[in-house]
Amino acid sequence: MAHRALAHKSTDDVAIAVADLKAGEELTIHSLEGGKPHKVKLLEDVPLGHKVALKDLPKGHVVIEYGEKVGQMTQAVARGGYVHVHNIRTLRWNYGEKAKSAKPKASSRAKGGR
Amino acid sequence: MARKSPSKAMQLTGYRRPNGAVGVRNHVLILPVDDLSNAAAEGVARLINGTTALPHPYGRLQFGEDLELTFRTLSGHGANANVHGVVVIGIEPKWTDRVASAIAKTGKPVETFSIERHGDLNVINAASRVAYQMVQDASELRREPIEVSELVLSIKCGESDPTLGLAGNKAQGRAVDRLVDMGASVIFGETSELTGGEHLIANRCATPALKRKFMQIYNDYIAMIEAQGVDLLGSQPTEGNIRGGLSTIEEKALGNIQKTGTRPVNAVLNYAEPVKPGLGLVFMNSSSAGAEQVTLCAAGGSVLHFFTTGQGNIVGHPLIPVIKVSPNPITCSTMSEHIDVKLPDLLVGDISLDQAADRILDVFARTVNGRLTAAELLRHSEFVITKLYPSA
Repeated sequence: MAHRALAHKSTDDVAIAVADLKAGEELTIHSLEGGKPHKVKLLEDVPLGHKVALKDLPKGHVVIEYGEKVGQMTQAVARGGYVHVHNIRTLRWNYGEKAKSAKPKASSRAKGGR
Repeated sequence: MARKSPSKAMQLTGYRRPNGAVGVRNHVLILPVDDLSNAAAEGVARLINGTTALPHPYGRLQFGEDLELTFRTLSGHGANANVHGVVVIGIEPKWTDRVASAIAKTGKPVETFSIERHGDLNVINAASRVAYQMVQDASELRREPIEVSELVLSIKCGESDPTLGLAGNKAQGRAVDRLVDMGASVIFGETSELTGGEHLIANRCATPALKRKFMQIYNDYIAMIEAQGVDLLGSQPTEGNIRGGLSTIEEKALGNIQKTGTRPVNAVLNYAEPVKPGLGLVFMNSSSAGAEQVTLCAAGGSVLHFFTTGQGNIVGHPLIPVIKVSPNPITCSTMSEHIDVKLPDLLVGDISLDQAADRILDVFARTVNGRLTAAELLRHSEFVITKLYPSA
């Protein structure tokens, strides 16, 4: 049967939806690198490409994906919940605060990317 | 079970240039040295069938490393093995000759024209006659058998989403490992977009000196951004990335890095530095913006680019075919005409990573042999020079 969501590692905190998922779905989520699958009941809709919590993630928890640190929870999410920019943030930069190293200049030439 | 090696079945053909470099396309390039010369270059390209002009906005009153980068980008495109011959047009003869002499080192035909004391119409007339002859000569060149080990290639992802880290970039990484094992050079970059995974790349550098050089380039890039008093929130991840499900730069970087495969990083280069075949995996300092990075890779000698996309980046390049790979079923159906290799079946686990890599390498071989990519068919020919600082 085709997967509905996949994790990179069975020890990760989150998995990725590989289809549009609906609240109430009961999923068996496998990992690309084997290990024990997770049984998860979805608490919210999760769109294709977005993240599902594989365990209860308290506020402040450092989230593991790919076996690496990818961010920190700004709000608690229960297993089966939706993890996205409303409840996780980067560990690298301070949200909403200016970087500390210098004052902003009028002619910002910083390059974004994609 | 032994892995089915597509290299055995890969019958590749290309164009061998006078210096031995191997290309997969056969362009005649009309190269303006500066913004003022775009009109004449485009005039020639309109008159003579089979020529390609590379208009751009720079080349006046640049200085220092910024000027060197513009020169390196322009002469690197002229020297690219996908190019048979080059007509260089500039407003002043000195800089025009400088760009042309760097290209002439490859042994390919190069002619220069300067506009001062002649005017656009005389230059277009004379340059068109030269371009006419170059195209006729190029049209008589025939493809000959080539090996993967003679090629310089490049990779990037764009409009990324977690379907790439999960499937598209993983498959691309598997294909990159095989190409490197067959002896190709494969360039990757996107310096700021390694944030959160830079330690993984640093640890794959083949020597301690390369590791130090990589970390210096990475740290300098981030310091340059922070010196503006900003961070990359709002642009890393981009709005498109966030819509696709990416939430942090770390998550984006870890997905990005999947496409580099698992082989060691054997060279660490600055913007547009020349790359030879046989180096294996090569890091090149570059912006994470699609057209800028593809342009820097082409300037470094890449003759073919793999571009993995989640939400549907559509970038191309005037000289090098850009193969689009996507595992996202929405993108593959709503933007079907842009995607060369569709992998939604990998995303849901219906095919293996090796089968997906086979599919990528099959399209690679056919594209090398002349099959047009989606970007080529749709006239995507983005050429964007990286600018380091304001002009004088």
